[in-house]
Amino acid sequence: MIRYDVIIVGAGAGGGVAAGVLAEAGKRVLLLERGGQLSFEHDPHDHLRHQRFSRYGHNAGPDIRGNPRVTVDAQGQTRVIYPHEDGYQNNAAVIGGGTRVYGAQAWRFLPQDFRMASLYGIPTGSSLADWPISYADLEPYYERAEWEIGVAGDGIASARHWPRRTGFPMPPLPVNKQGQALRAGASKLGWEALPIPALINTVPYNARPACIQCQYCVGFTCPVDAKNGTHNTLISRALATGYCDLVTEAMVVRIDIEASGRVSGVSYFDRAGQRQSAQAEVVICAGGAIETARLLLNSASLRHPHGLGNQHDQVGRHLQGHYYPAAVGLMSEPVYEGVGPGISTATIQFNHGNSDIIGGAMLADEFIELPVIFWSRQLPLDLPRWGMENKRFMRENYTRVMRVTGPVQEIPSPEARVTLDPSVRDRWGMPVARLSGTTHMETVRTAAFMFERAREWLQASGAVRVWGQPPGLYLSGGQHQAGTCRMGDDPHTSVVDQWGRVHGHDNLFAADGSVHVTNGGFNPVLTILALAFRTAERLAKSW
Amino acid sequence: MLTSNHWNILRSLMNRIIPPDDFPDAWEAGVGNYLSRQFERDLQHQVETYHLGLEALEAGSQAFAGKSFTELDASAQDMLLSRIETGQVTLSWSVNPPEFFHMVIIHVMEGYYSDPGNEGNRDSVAWQMIGFEPRE
Repeated sequence: MIRYDVIIVGAGAGGGVAAGVLAEAGKRVLLLERGGQLSFEHDPHDHLRHQRFSRYGHNAGPDIRGNPRVTVDAQGQTRVIYPHEDGYQNNAAVIGGGTRVYGAQAWRFLPQDFRMASLYGIPTGSSLADWPISYADLEPYYERAEWEIGVAGDGIASARHWPRRTGFPMPPLPVNKQGQALRAGASKLGWEALPIPALINTVPYNARPACIQCQYCVGFTCPVDAKNGTHNTLISRALATGYCDLVTEAMVVRIDIEASGRVSGVSYFDRAGQRQSAQAEVVICAGGAIETARLLLNSASLRHPHGLGNQHDQVGRHLQGHYYPAAVGLMSEPVYEGVGPGISTATIQFNHGNSDIIGGAMLADEFIELPVIFWSRQLPLDLPRWGMENKRFMRENYTRVMRVTGPVQEIPSPEARVTLDPSVRDRWGMPVARLSGTTHMETVRTAAFMFERAREWLQASGAVRVWGQPPGLYLSGGQHQAGTCRMGDDPHTSVVDQWGRVHGHDNLFAADGSVHVTNGGFNPVLTILALAFRTAERLAKSW
Repeated sequence: MLTSNHWNILRSLMNRIIPPDDFPDAWEAGVGNYLSRQFERDLQHQVETYHLGLEALEAGSQAFAGKSFTELDASAQDMLLSRIETGQVTLSWSVNPPEFFHMVIIHVMEGYYSDPGNEGNRDSVAWQMIGFEPRE
């Protein structure tokens, strides 16, 4: 059996970066991914089965059979739930993870996002906390992520809000009609409109071509490989070194541990269903906030009866994602012209500094919406759902409707959590994730505030009618899942230290959204990538 | 299994959910093909619900107007469906009437507006109608 230097569990954003950095540093890496390779040829543009709209399944996994979870509602009612259903909090299970099929917005968190408790105080019942690191600590790694994975953006506009040493390697995405309308609206309101940075090639970069501006982007693989993720950057680089073994359809079920508290490797099931074990000096968990927490909890032993890193009952708590309050506006003229991906314009006017509101959100325009998603999510609340009036509305207004929404920074609750279900098992016989609790009420308040700002923006941009409703209290997570192994200096209130090392286990790390203390009012992927660069670089230098 | 009679009722039902104008109705656009495939795939578990719901709709039509749902004129069909939508049924149904109708609406829209690879939306006719023009 080969003894590895590092085993990485999960080939998504964080795991992919860690594999690339460590393999290039000469470490022997075993990268284990529960999903498989997803090629464009095997990603039919099936409007009913993809990561954005999974009515009957997913293009990027996980399989809807064999991977259940359990949800617990406010009344304590439990329900077994499958990957394509609402409430499962799914994340893609494929090489590249979410980066294979994401919309690729590439935001840095703002300096204030690392100091939420200091800025706002800690609301009763919440677990709001500062990060143990600052924006300045992460800035060099944001830069690495932007250049090594590839971000298109406007460096001058960005530098007005984010201290940064360099610009972006590529110019920003094209501005289509909805972006133009919203820029005019922002100007009318005196708000600053920002170009959206994206992990998409707007010019040839990294030996791959530029975006062809198709109408399929979020939820799908890119037809010309112009969307940048770890699958076509850091993982490719890792494999090119010859030091990284990538094993797909490998489900890690347990982290193996010695009496000293050092981990010795992992146990996993291979694609043939055989149980295997692999050994290494270091194990890095990067399965996403829900699966990383589940793996630590499922690794309980006599010496660690509550799971690894869980001596203070922190693993799995503070689960958070993003609330997305959306306002939909009807314009008098068409704003759809078929230029993908569709997003171009945002404002960060309301991420902080709102009177009597904690945090806020970036607001942005929307990806091109596929017609069946448009029918499901964007029609006026009072429009009949069937008949001639419904058909006529679709016919007359598909090209005249635009949506403004954005990720509200959640105020975390310790009761929003991942535990192990006592009875339901997955296809490998392991206890599944049980998801319970909700975000804090302050998140709902912030979302209601941001809904009004979205409405205001659409009205100023010429919408003749605006509809939508702000979200109520629920548990979010989904593709932006975070917080379940939060970083901190105090082992009583956190799971990993500022370098991603699990408290109490010298050679066990986490490198995914689970380590986020808070999740910013932005898409979190660039922060996951940057933190993974920071964790892996330090680790590579340490031995 | 649905009989040809069930399919006739379903055809009339889907064509009130998406009626014809100068663009095709649901059946003409291939929503029947979509459903037929789905009944063997993701909606196998709903075939019995369709069976019961369509029979209840037919019985309701006989009670309401003394003839088959397929023989009612469009405005009478719409009137009956509006009552079902709001739960105002006179006979007892073996499935929940508004839930059944809502489910059929969603399935019909999936067939009409999703990609032709799902066997509805023949020649992308729904996309031509609304102005969604994908470049593949």
